[in-house]
Amino acid sequence: MIDVQTHIRVKNLSVWYGKQQALNQINIRIPDKRITAIIGPSGCGKSTLLKSFNRLIELQEGVKITGHVLVDGEDINDPKVEVTHLRKKMGLLSQKPQVLPMSIYENVAYGLKIHGVNGKKNLDPTVEHYLQEANLWEEVKDRLHTPASKLSTGQQQRLCLARGLAVEPEVILGDEPTSALDPLSAECIEHRFLKLKEKYTIVLVTHILRQAKRLADYVVFLYLGNLIEHGPAEEFFKNPKDPKTRAYISGGFIEETTRKASG
Amino acid sequence: MAWRKIEENIFKFLMVLATAVVVGSLALILITVLFKGLPALNLDMLTKTPQGGYYIGKGGGILNAILGSLVLGLGATFLAFLISMPLVIYLHLYLNTRSNRARLIRFILDLLWGIPSIVYGAVGFTLMVFLGLQSSLLAGIITVAMLIMPIMTRSMDEVFKLIPFELKETSFALGATRLETAVKVILRQALPGIVTAVLMAFGRGIGDAASVLFTAGFTDSLPYSLFKPVATLPLAIFFQLGTPFPEVRERGYAAAFVLTLIVLIISVVTRIFSARFSKNIIR
Ligand SMILES: Nc1ncnc2c1ncn2[C@@H]1O[C@H](COP(=O)(O)OP(=O)(O)OP(=O)(O)O)[C@@H](O)[C@H]1O
Ligand SMILES: [Mg+2]
Repeated sequence: MIDVQTHIRVKNLSVWYGKQQALNQINIRIPDKRITAIIGPSGCGKSTLLKSFNRLIELQEGVKITGHVLVDGEDINDPKVEVTHLRKKMGLLSQKPQVLPMSIYENVAYGLKIHGVNGKKNLDPTVEHYLQEANLWEEVKDRLHTPASKLSTGQQQRLCLARGLAVEPEVILGDEPTSALDPLSAECIEHRFLKLKEKYTIVLVTHILRQAKRLADYVVFLYLGNLIEHGPAEEFFKNPKDPKTRAYISGGFIEETTRKASG
Repeated sequence: MAWRKIEENIFKFLMVLATAVVVGSLALILITVLFKGLPALNLDMLTKTPQGGYYIGKGGGILNAILGSLVLGLGATFLAFLISMPLVIYLHLYLNTRSNRARLIRFILDLLWGIPSIVYGAVGFTLMVFLGLQSSLLAGIITVAMLIMPIMTRSMDEVFKLIPFELKETSFALGATRLETAVKVILRQALPGIVTAVLMAFGRGIGDAASVLFTAGFTDSLPYSLFKPVATLPLAIFFQLGTPFPEVRERGYAAAFVLTLIVLIISVVTRIFSARFSKNIIR
């Protein structure tokens, strides 16, 4: 086990969408100042888990949550918790990059203004800084005040990264943050994450096993809403304990293993 | 094979026909009011109030009704907006779309939309008497606002329904409150739709005769007080078309032309403006 220091701790977390259960009794500790990768096949509950960390999940119709998510020792579902503070602290980059209906500049400035940064003098350098962090500055510096929706999908994804970083979260929750990027930009963002983990705790959902191997210090493997296996990356990839994990990381079909295991 | 082609052609024909009916209706209305009203349409008509004997064919114009309708229409639209806008924000940011409360609100609004305007007129009149008001601009504004509020709210509601859920999610994820999300993100995205909804409601309000008949009254003077009766174009049309004098009936058509023109102009101008506002919108 790496470090004991942990920002986020999940205890017996279950989530239902209506009658359908999306997460079943999840227990994990997310190590601080590390990159934790959440992997698993499509529909296994990765986004659901991530959105449980900043309570975005409760916006869904008919969602039911049991169990606890503790951030800094505090249950985030406690009525005392100010949800806007929680969400500022837990920056989420959602799976589908969603720009806001405003200019490129305003997109980055939006979160800043909400949290009290005002005035061109304060905003301008900050906006530039985070656009550079997201590796987008060079492409957009001459058209900062044009609509963000005109950017390409990959550029939008990087804009969302810049916007997310600009509010200075303590934890970055990335839901496949490089899914819309070309290999070069993806690599660039990956490097960025490796740097960012010095300052931030990072949780990344990824479909790309190689990406998980390249980046992750810690790996969480979900399957059909269940936590199958989790552990330090090296061990996880070298010595997977569960047959399902073994099948998944060797590219085999889990279905087959499960069928064999059960019958 | 041949039958399917025939089928296709029949439907094409029906669609062209439907389009023609729509375009034709607009053309018919414009042509009718233009041709029947044109002889009476002159500068006096637009710039003067009715002089003595106006309703038997003597001099003057309908400026009282033009200004009256504009003031009443704007007032009612503004009042309705003050109710509609918060209500729509409440429906979309504070309630779950499928919650019972949201359903109930929508159901009531749909009922209100369906109630004939003469009923609003009657209720407005009762309310007015109860409050000790006489027929007045204020009573008219309140009544017309009641009439157009459901229309405005439900049209905005439909626009808000089209806003991607992710937009809300994104703003919340950055730590924004519901109100910040509503005002800084959702309203921006919905702006052209809001403008259209307001415009629709204004058009409906300015053109309605039944709701203002008892509540706003009628007068030959220009609107000058909230508590005094006010003239409106629909009633001016109504009264003038009801006279036995051909030249007065002609003026009725001229008034109808003016009313149609006001609605058209406002609709065009607003569209130009909303196009300018919508450059940042996500499609
Ligand atoms: N709003 C919702 N209503 C109902 N069911 C939902 C909702 N959101 C997700 N689900 C279901 O919950 C399960 C987990 O979804 P989730 O989005 O967390 O999966 P995921 O692991 O992120 O998948 P992907 O890799 O495709 O993004 C899926 O079966 C999905 O169909
Ligand atoms: Mg997902």
